[in-house]
Amino acid sequence: MILPLDDLLLHRWPQWGLVVAVLVGIGFGFVLERAGFGRATKLAAQFYGHDMTVLKVMFGAIVTASLGSVVAAGLGLIDLGELATHVTSWTYLGPMIAGGVLLGVGFIIAGYCPGTSVVAAASGNVDGLVTFVGVGLGCLLYAELYPLIEPFANSGNLHHLFLYDLLPVSPAVTAAAVAVLAAGAFLAADVAERTFSARYGLEVEAWRSAAGPRWITFGSFAVLAVAGLALSAGVRAGDGPAEQPSAGGSMAAAVIGQEALARRVVEEPWTLRVLDLRDREACGERRIPGAECVPLETLGELGLAYAPPDVDLVLVAEGPLDQVPPAAREFRGDVFVLDGGFTGWERFALTAPDPPDAPAGSPLWQRYRIRSGIYSALTGVQQAPPPPAPTATFVPPPPSGGGGCG
Amino acid sequence: MQRQHTFWNPYLAGVALGAVLLTSLLVAGKGLGASGAVARFVVALTDVVAPAHAATNPLMGPVLAGEGSPLSTYLVFLMLGMLLGGAASAFAAGRQSIEVVRGPRISIPWRLGLALSGGVMMGFAARLARGCTSGQALSGGALLSAGSWIFMLSMFAGGYAVAVLVRRQWR
Repeated sequence: MILPLDDLLLHRWPQWGLVVAVLVGIGFGFVLERAGFGRATKLAAQFYGHDMTVLKVMFGAIVTASLGSVVAAGLGLIDLGELATHVTSWTYLGPMIAGGVLLGVGFIIAGYCPGTSVVAAASGNVDGLVTFVGVGLGCLLYAELYPLIEPFANSGNLHHLFLYDLLPVSPAVTAAAVAVLAAGAFLAADVAERTFSARYGLEVEAWRSAAGPRWITFGSFAVLAVAGLALSAGVRAGDGPAEQPSAGGSMAAAVIGQEALARRVVEEPWTLRVLDLRDREACGERRIPGAECVPLETLGELGLAYAPPDVDLVLVAEGPLDQVPPAAREFRGDVFVLDGGFTGWERFALTAPDPPDAPAGSPLWQRYRIRSGIYSALTGVQQAPPPPAPTATFVPPPPSGGGGCG
Repeated sequence: MQRQHTFWNPYLAGVALGAVLLTSLLVAGKGLGASGAVARFVVALTDVVAPAHAATNPLMGPVLAGEGSPLSTYLVFLMLGMLLGGAASAFAAGRQSIEVVRGPRISIPWRLGLALSGGVMMGFAARLARGCTSGQALSGGALLSAGSWIFMLSMFAGGYAVAVLVRRQWR
């Protein structure tokens, strides 16, 4: 479902991706130049307060794209969780703070960031070209020094972590909140521009202080935010039980019903991997036949991102689970949560079924057979001892993205 | 042609840039980026100049061991497009000229020296942070990655902290 065009066309015409890259790059370079980002003085002005174009363009783009991707996910064009894990890097706390500060320092000293130095060079600015060469040298320096800084460079690894993992809200709500914050920051930036321009004896030109474009922009943010919220609410309400197979970001979790799970546990257990997220003791005592005992806090150690995706993952918590835990979201196959959790399962499986009053061969008999099979597995004396606790320590391979000398 | 210093309104430029980013995300399934392509250029160049050294480097070796040229990636071709788009825009606006952009109080050699040192810092920083303003802040920020937002806030903090020291260069 994700990346429909890419998937479709890559197989027919492998060069398609690179043609798209050039076209998107042309748009990227064109817009950066039109924003004024081919000139170091324009970019540096951000840090002296009288021209906050950098902030407005950057956050304006972020809000537009984040609301746009939420809307696209709501329309079913993309799987937001899959896109986000595919595109973003893991979060490395220390390296990202240190790298961010150093990049900001380099930015104000050079007058460009790496991307804008390309556009500056393209428009003939020698300082842009020199900055670009510097970026290459810095990259080389990093590769040469990497053995020394490797421990720090890989420290504070929080894997994929999104703002909506830290908040009790959905991506659509998070994106809308970011839009509101950005709009507030823009209004503050407008005030700062007037204040600092007056202080330096400059004026804020009419083409960038005009009210029209600002309100058009805020209006489009509002429309996109409302559309995103409405669509994501609709997606959640429309989730049928045991349908909607989705490795789904933090969208509402796909649910598998008790009977559907029971049937698969009995009839085709090899298509499933059942993870019992309750604490080890409770799980050791009673669990769904074939389930692995993986207490929630140890889920990350399984390395689900690299587990074979050809079986469906079923997560069993004590009670209902309305979100897939972050560690399971990286699983590339389908992830389900058990309807009603283990409590619901016990209620379903621990009540002895009554034989149906129906002729042999009726589907009711098959249902009875499955239910009584489950019943005896859960209550019977012949229950196998609990499987050993998973102890394998998993070292994930380095993420592939980024490439090059870092 | 009349030389223009008038640019797009920043709000509208932001929405336009967002549209480009969204296109990249939805159509190609990839974010925008710049430092990733630079990294690939560096690997390719090192491979030409000192192939044995490149192959044993813990970061460059795996890239070279992979299939195909280190340059056949999305980001490298994106950068090719950036050069074309940037040049076209500057040319159409009459801004295409060989010059050194600087403040009124700094000499050309100083300006270029600072541009080079700032660039080196950014190249190093971008690898450490797994991306630069485009790949980490813009693309990751739009997908609401926590690391991207931490990176972005740190970047503005770093810039503002040092701005007063290099004021002479710009004002």
